[in-house]
Amino acid sequence: MSEAELRTAVAGHRWLQSLRLRPDLVTPGLKPEAQLKAEEAALFDTLNLKGAHLLEIGAGNGAFSFAALRRGAARVLATDHLAWTLPGSDALSATQWAAHALGAGIEMSPLDPRELTPRFGSFHVVMATACFDQLFNPIQALRGMRSVTERVLLIETLQDGLADARPLMMGHGQVLPIGGPEGSWVFGWGPNLPLMTQLLTDLGFSRVLYRHHPTLGAARGLYAAFLPEAPDGLLEGFHTPWINVTSPQAA
Amino acid sequence: MTPQSELSDQELLARIGRITWFHSLELRPGIVTPGAKSLAVLRREEEALLGPFDLRGRSVLDIGAWNGAFSFASKRRGAARVLATDEFAWTHPTYKGLESFELARAELGLEVETLQLDPTRMDASLGQFDLVLFLGVFYHLFDPIDVLQRMRAVTGQVLLVETHQDALEREEPAMVFYPGRTLANDDTNWWGPNPPLMLHLLRQLGFARIYYRDHPHYLPAEGSRTRGIFAAILPGAEPAMSAHFGIEWRDLGAAGAMRDFRP
Repeated sequence: MSEAELRTAVAGHRWLQSLRLRPDLVTPGLKPEAQLKAEEAALFDTLNLKGAHLLEIGAGNGAFSFAALRRGAARVLATDHLAWTLPGSDALSATQWAAHALGAGIEMSPLDPRELTPRFGSFHVVMATACFDQLFNPIQALRGMRSVTERVLLIETLQDGLADARPLMMGHGQVLPIGGPEGSWVFGWGPNLPLMTQLLTDLGFSRVLYRHHPTLGAARGLYAAFLPEAPDGLLEGFHTPWINVTSPQAA
Repeated sequence: MTPQSELSDQELLARIGRITWFHSLELRPGIVTPGAKSLAVLRREEEALLGPFDLRGRSVLDIGAWNGAFSFASKRRGAARVLATDEFAWTHPTYKGLESFELARAELGLEVETLQLDPTRMDASLGQFDLVLFLGVFYHLFDPIDVLQRMRAVTGQVLLVETHQDALEREEPAMVFYPGRTLANDDTNWWGPNPPLMLHLLRQLGFARIYYRDHPHYLPAEGSRTRGIFAAILPGAEPAMSAHFGIEWRDLGAAGAMRDFRP
């Protein structure tokens, strides 16, 4: 691959994420590099990923999968559903170009998280960004993710109904810049903190940690949910602003 | 079809007495099962739920049929085929739902098919029915979105959803989660959607028009709108199945339809 070919490929794709492929070449993505870096730090500075097997749901252009590999993960499987399968989508092709340019040996596969079962295998770390925002059925997707998680599930999601003490989620429709030229209408959800805590608890996670999004505040939330078999040491890197929101029922 | 039962009144009463009933059904003149829902309540519910539809010659699928009141009502209203399904109540040791259903069916002499199947496992292989009755089930499901998708797959014309609802003060789509025994001290209650949410979910599943009416026994005038009825109509439904919604019903797609749900 020549530099000219790479620059042509970058110009020829629609990018969801701004990835630095060369010191002077950043893909013109919707999500700015600074926000991706802040999210990466918020999610991954907490954990030692050396030797870990990681599954990413909703990888977009793979920014977090590439980051996990840089941080020492032994196996990284990047997946996406809508952005990689809707007719007219070029996000998978863009991600393949990025992996090639970065020399990053990640696996890539289109995947609907609703279809995950234990037969798919298991991963020390499962992560999903823009998690509820773009899922018609986040309950089933969470169940699927739970079924392949060995230790910890990391989630970044839109939030809503934050003033409400009741666990609830609110429906959100949006046009995403995926699929055909006009984009695609996608129906998703914004959960509040009590709902996330309860759902994760009901799905078998025994400890749940939370923090606001590093640049967008409470409009989006980050969750780390641990299975009972996760060693206590795994929680050591979760400092302020992470807080323990584990449901009393889980104890 | 005439009653096949050869039970004496005494024997029938004894069998009725061994079951905990949800529906009051008049099995013989003067012999009514002692349901938690009275005959009068069920009569009003039947009219509210089935009144808009001309069921003559059509097929009906009843999800969560329990003792069978709405399956039998559909048959009496002329449905050519009625398939009653249930699992939770039919296999419940106290409710003895399937036994109760079969006892009532034999007494009433109605041709209604049965299938013991939970809605979480239903799909298009069941076939499509002109009217699907999804009454009092949505909020009992941990994942009602998945099951609503399954209900769409078995609906030929109209899906009728009756459910507990919540978050009525919000005009935006929302559903409230009830962990453990939060709602009515019942750990089988999971979710309370609001009407805007039902509109969005049903539209997203391909229904063209969504009508709403208050439940006849949970009325805003009485300070309670905690249950609602939604009729979701597929594109191309026959007029007999989609054109007779009275004044109690409102088209949720119409401008301003969500405004006056506020308590």
